[in-house]
Amino acid sequence: MSDETATPLLELLGIRAGYGTIDVLHGVDLRVMPGQVYALLGPNGAGKTTTLGVASGQIQPHAGSVLLDGHEVNGVSPDRLARAGVCLIPEGRGIFPNLSVAENLRMSTYAGVSYKQVQERAFAQFPRLQERRNQMAGTLSGGEQQMLAMSRALSTDPAILMLDELSMGLAPIIVEELYEQVASLAEAGLSILIVEQFAQAVLGVANEAAIMLHGRIQRTGPPAEIAEELTAAYLGMS
Amino acid sequence: MTFGLRRSVVVTAVVAVAIATVIAVFTWAGTPVTAKTFLNATYIGLTLGALWAMYATGLVVVYTTTGVFNFAQGAIGVFGAFFYWELQMNRGWHPILALFVVVFLFAPLLGICLDVLVMRRLRTAPLVVQLMVTVGMMVFLISLVGTIWNANTPRWVNAFFKDSGGIDLGPAQLTWHRFIVFVTAVVVAVILRFLLYKTRIGTAMRAVVDNRELAALNGARPNMVSSLAWAIGSMLGALGGILIASELEFNPSNLNDIVIIAFAAAAFGALRNLPLAVVGALLLGLLRQHTETWLNFGTNFSKAHLGIAPLLLFAVVVALPQARLEVGRVVSNLRRRERYTNWWEGLIGCGALMLCAVMFSGGWLNFGIWDPEAWGGPALNSANAAMALALIGLSLVPLIGWAGQVNFAPLAFAGFGAFVYLKLAGDTGNGYWIPLVGLICAPLGALVALPAARLRGLYLALMSMAFAQGMALIFFPHEWVIPRIGVGRQFSHIELFGITFDDRRGYFLLMMSVFVIGVYGLVLLRNSRYGRRWMAMHGSQAAAATVGIPVVQTKVVVYAVSASLAGMAGVFWATVAGNLSAGQDFDLLNGFQIVLLIAAAGVSIPMAGIFLVFTPLFTGLSHRLEDTGNVGFLVEILDQLVVLGPGLLAIGMVFNPRGAIFEMGRGFSPILPWRSDARAEIAAENAQKREPEIGELGLERPFTPEEVIAIDRRLGILDEVVPKEGYGAARS
Repeated sequence: MSDETATPLLELLGIRAGYGTIDVLHGVDLRVMPGQVYALLGPNGAGKTTTLGVASGQIQPHAGSVLLDGHEVNGVSPDRLARAGVCLIPEGRGIFPNLSVAENLRMSTYAGVSYKQVQERAFAQFPRLQERRNQMAGTLSGGEQQMLAMSRALSTDPAILMLDELSMGLAPIIVEELYEQVASLAEAGLSILIVEQFAQAVLGVANEAAIMLHGRIQRTGPPAEIAEELTAAYLGMS
Repeated sequence: MTFGLRRSVVVTAVVAVAIATVIAVFTWAGTPVTAKTFLNATYIGLTLGALWAMYATGLVVVYTTTGVFNFAQGAIGVFGAFFYWELQMNRGWHPILALFVVVFLFAPLLGICLDVLVMRRLRTAPLVVQLMVTVGMMVFLISLVGTIWNANTPRWVNAFFKDSGGIDLGPAQLTWHRFIVFVTAVVVAVILRFLLYKTRIGTAMRAVVDNRELAALNGARPNMVSSLAWAIGSMLGALGGILIASELEFNPSNLNDIVIIAFAAAAFGALRNLPLAVVGALLLGLLRQHTETWLNFGTNFSKAHLGIAPLLLFAVVVALPQARLEVGRVVSNLRRRERYTNWWEGLIGCGALMLCAVMFSGGWLNFGIWDPEAWGGPALNSANAAMALALIGLSLVPLIGWAGQVNFAPLAFAGFGAFVYLKLAGDTGNGYWIPLVGLICAPLGALVALPAARLRGLYLALMSMAFAQGMALIFFPHEWVIPRIGVGRQFSHIELFGITFDDRRGYFLLMMSVFVIGVYGLVLLRNSRYGRRWMAMHGSQAAAATVGIPVVQTKVVVYAVSASLAGMAGVFWATVAGNLSAGQDFDLLNGFQIVLLIAAAGVSIPMAGIFLVFTPLFTGLSHRLEDTGNVGFLVEILDQLVVLGPGLLAIGMVFNPRGAIFEMGRGFSPILPWRSDARAEIAAENAQKREPEIGELGLERPFTPEEVIAIDRRLGILDEVVPKEGYGAARS
């Protein structure tokens, strides 16, 4: 699907970043082509979430560049990137617990879509959210919360979607349901960068995968090949 | 809500009504109840309630949208009111123009400045810092108003349309001003409710406090949103201040004290519910005006009707369900391991302090400020007064610093100690009673701890504030508690070991000895098994409970210890002054000043109290400068520092949350020969300043000269070989 001559939608070049004086990423190069589903895998503490933080503007890299559709966006604030079409669903339920479901959806409208459209699309995908539209989001079940978080991706037509540990702490059946949504988004041609610790679900959707270890991308390749090496990588045998 | 809770609420309400009825029956003033008097009281009550509603809505808006409870809300109102006075009364501007300039230009600007300069940085600060900074802001603004406009000059502000009568509603008349106030408050509350819940920006305002990062990921501009919240809060404060100014005695502390009523109203709505906060404010207004009209509490309780608000705040805070109290976050800043002073270091420190005190009082160490004769002069009164405050401040160290229990009522405990001492020792000044005073004060602390046991954070702070205000308005003004005498001393000079401490120098040394003993006792306590319990509880109540620490019992003990220390300190506080005035000495602002100064100095360090002595040092310096003449501007600056200092110091905690003494200690300790750990820490910090990894240099970009030197160092190439100025300089 990916065309090597096209401009990558998202490109990270030599990114070094971290928290305070401690570097977590030691030179990360990553490239998501238009229409590609890129799975970034790796164990706890490898720097996957930090990579997404850099790509979404939350963390300023100490060195390297972030390119969005060929334009350098270093130092652009996360809210501007979000309005420009970068959609990051953060780890651990990206919702506002003290706002109602409807108000959570309303927050998606900053991406430039109407409130009506957001509601229509979200409720069409997840009818359960419609039943609970006036309920505080914090009182939803874990799966419902993740659906609510996902509905921002579904309703705002983002340029690129980044998903951080979508499956964390959820029942397998719900994970399956969520990944069906991801797959249909991918089919529609959306570029997606998925970060996961456990690979089973994601490798079925991805068409490019990478293993991240100790703040570096160790290996990139087709998902099937990466899957084989994953265990070894996690056990530190790579 | 379970049935059990409801029943308890019902029982409490019934008991409260019964008590209120009994009080009402016994204190009935006998004013004839006519439709006119009743309606008059109702109109005034509703007006006052509407004004407090404006303050309360400002509080609620800022709290729901930024998570910061703004203690300075009232102070913003005071500032607005004085600025309005300046424009309208002093410069003769048209009232509408002045109102517009203050409320719609100045106030939003002030709010945005507050947010950008200070409040935004509080977002991730621990709760104690959050509280201290906003309280510091309040004290700072109040003292700033006092500096710009002399607070003692009597002033007044005209009511709006004061010459055009009013509306005749029934037999009584509602003035236009009051009508406007009432309508404005209701309209403002309705608009804000609409803004917060029905618009996207309002949703974003509430979203930002829930999860700021996520709000940004959604595309909302978090900084703009919180600035907007502060601008609105500040506008409401200023508007309330201007409108209330003509209803009350126009002076800073009086106008600020009413904010506690707004706190009570806001607490009524659990700090988040706008309609409930407005209803609470209106009820409070009615309650206050009607009690003032119909009841007469007698001269001994002349301020009791003002005490209703603090009492209600106390009750509401204690009764509220405690689900969502977390303000401020558990900050996972990579805290340095805290090192505790051990017993012999404490001994050295205390000895050194005592030595300084002796030299200072003997005139050998006078900082070029005092000559020994100055001990006879009035400048040194302030040194002794500050020393007494330092003793009171010491009582806060275990409570706030170690157990993390915010307490704004140190003066209530101290005053109680003074009262006990007055009853025990009478006018003999017998110092041997002081330990007994400490023992008697302990149960009072334990009593306060019982409601405190289930409170945390902000609500605990509000409760202690309500307690302090309630004591100041109801307990201390009673003739029997602290009798008012015309001239002379009410508290005789302390007599101890056969010495009467009636000269300033001796008294200073006595208090310093007590201070040093207190500090050393606390150092030992902190190193003990029991002292560690307090800090464990501060770290995490849940974790403390799981390792088997009885949390409630531990809290009660720490309150008792603190109250008993404060009580004993109160004896010195009272005897330094000679007299206590219920009106001034127990003013809320005075209590805040102590807490702020201790917090700014470093509330977890017992020695921090000594910081308070620096205030009179400044005063002394300015007296001395006045003598030399020709340095008027310096004197002016120093005087301003003394006035504005406490607030500024507390605001400074935004940048240095652990306190001045802590930072001083960090700078100082590496000098001490036995502190190799401090030196190692500094060395480790320097090493951490990101030395690049050799393997990665040059791969992504060319070497910089500094990096070449770093490689040389790492490879062990001798310093002589490496050019001092670096390769880069040599090359160019």
